[in-house]
Amino acid sequence: MSRVMGAMPADPQPGAATAPAHAAPRRRLRPLEPVAPRTRWLLGAAFFVLFVAVWSVATLGGYVSPTFLASPVTMVQEGWLLFTQFGFLHDIGMTVWRVLGGFFLAALVAVPLGICMGAHKGVEAFLEPFVSFCRYLPASAFIPLLILWAGLGELQKLLVIFIGSVFQIILMVAVTVGSARKDLVEAAYTLGATPTGIVRRVLIPGAAPHIAETLRLVLGWAWTYVIVAELIGSSSGIGHMITDSQALLNTGQIIFGIIVIGIIGLVSDFLFKAVNRRLFAWSVI
Amino acid sequence: MSELHIQGVSRTFTSAKGPATQALLPVDFHVADNDFVTILGPSGCGKSTMLRIVAGLDQPTAGRVLLDGQPVTGPGADRGMVFQSYTLFPWLTIEQNIRFGLRERGVAESVQKERAAYFIAKVGLRGFEQHYPKQLSGGMQQRTAIARALANDPKILLMDEPFGALDNQTRVLMQELLLGIWEAERKTVMFVTHDIDEAIFMANRVAVFSARPGRIKSEIAVDLPHPRHYRVKTSPEFMELKARLTEEIRAESMAADAH
Repeated sequence: MSRVMGAMPADPQPGAATAPAHAAPRRRLRPLEPVAPRTRWLLGAAFFVLFVAVWSVATLGGYVSPTFLASPVTMVQEGWLLFTQFGFLHDIGMTVWRVLGGFFLAALVAVPLGICMGAHKGVEAFLEPFVSFCRYLPASAFIPLLILWAGLGELQKLLVIFIGSVFQIILMVAVTVGSARKDLVEAAYTLGATPTGIVRRVLIPGAAPHIAETLRLVLGWAWTYVIVAELIGSSSGIGHMITDSQALLNTGQIIFGIIVIGIIGLVSDFLFKAVNRRLFAWSVI
Repeated sequence: MSELHIQGVSRTFTSAKGPATQALLPVDFHVADNDFVTILGPSGCGKSTMLRIVAGLDQPTAGRVLLDGQPVTGPGADRGMVFQSYTLFPWLTIEQNIRFGLRERGVAESVQKERAAYFIAKVGLRGFEQHYPKQLSGGMQQRTAIARALANDPKILLMDEPFGALDNQTRVLMQELLLGIWEAERKTVMFVTHDIDEAIFMANRVAVFSARPGRIKSEIAVDLPHPRHYRVKTSPEFMELKARLTEEIRAESMAADAH
């Protein structure tokens, strides 16, 4: 108290100095008010801490049976065992490979097709109804068929992800390209651009940041498809480990597997975002 | 030489439901080589429609547009256009934007660079070559758009209220800049505006549009000497023209309002 009093005379407007201190907490409650990056980071981390704390209390406190839910400590121990004794790194590698492989194939087919549909209304009219229909076919329902067609090998896993991703990407890319700014297209025409030039140097670069965001989103979905594919008829991968652990009632390993998927997903998302931001600096300036 | 003839051009917008809207009654108009013509009219009178037809971005319902005797069938590099909205390509730098048309037409890279540098200097944007459009103010973006259109060396420059979105001070400076460029380069310019001062200050001739459906109601020659200084705006001759055009536009605005 005395130190505050001592500081007072140095301040030309004591009233003004205290006013923002009162206003600050109130401002934080205002809608859309931004938070400082540090606060943001701390708040984000705080929820993880809270989550683990609640989980610990529930399991270590004996409120939930360990048969149904392993404690964080057990989970970490089981995770360690997975890596040291059960070759879990190989499982992770397989899963990552399948996701990236299937996703890459889907993008390779879907992005050019989506651009073509977005740019040319005739192509859109021809393909859009069918693709829209296919989009609602659940990829996981194809698994029995795909096993019949492609066996239990890697091709079947890739196809599940491919089917799950390709139609989504086509449609979202088509919409992005189709909603290009008309005035930019007109400006390009008055500068002497040909129809091909419009597609290559106006529609595609203009849509590129959005397309990259679409791919990032769909990559997230691909992770859910791969686990489903691995739950059925697989001899490796994170999904396979989870089914094995289920048979042994090892909830610690199951949770560890799920958390690993979450972490890999988060990291890939983060990397994707960073690459997008670098590639399309113009759109975020 | 570049001469523009607008012959009996009219435009009717049809919609699936509701009656068709006549935007433009048959218009006959002629722009001579190196002329600077402003098209003045109340908003929604069809003056922009006419300009878009000249650009080839819209098709006339009847009539035709001839540039140097050749009918206009679609947009082309011989008719450069500056739009009211900011139409720089946001993914290209200022320099790349200015080079866009040259690149599309396969002009040699060294020529592209040279012309871009020339027009960047002309519109006072030296030092901003590597900036992206978003980093520039509205006035700077429109200066880039003018440079981009001019770098392509069009026969005629079409301007659709290019300074309409700018604040008043910037707009006045942009008018002086454009007029200065015109006095040096002697391009043929067709400039659409609803601002009377702007219409008189830059033009050799002002064409007044009627309220919708649009037609050219009168043409007024502006015989103010070149080079024009901003002080010309306070001269008695300017004031007299302004009073006359104000009367004409006022009648049309009231007619438009009554619709």
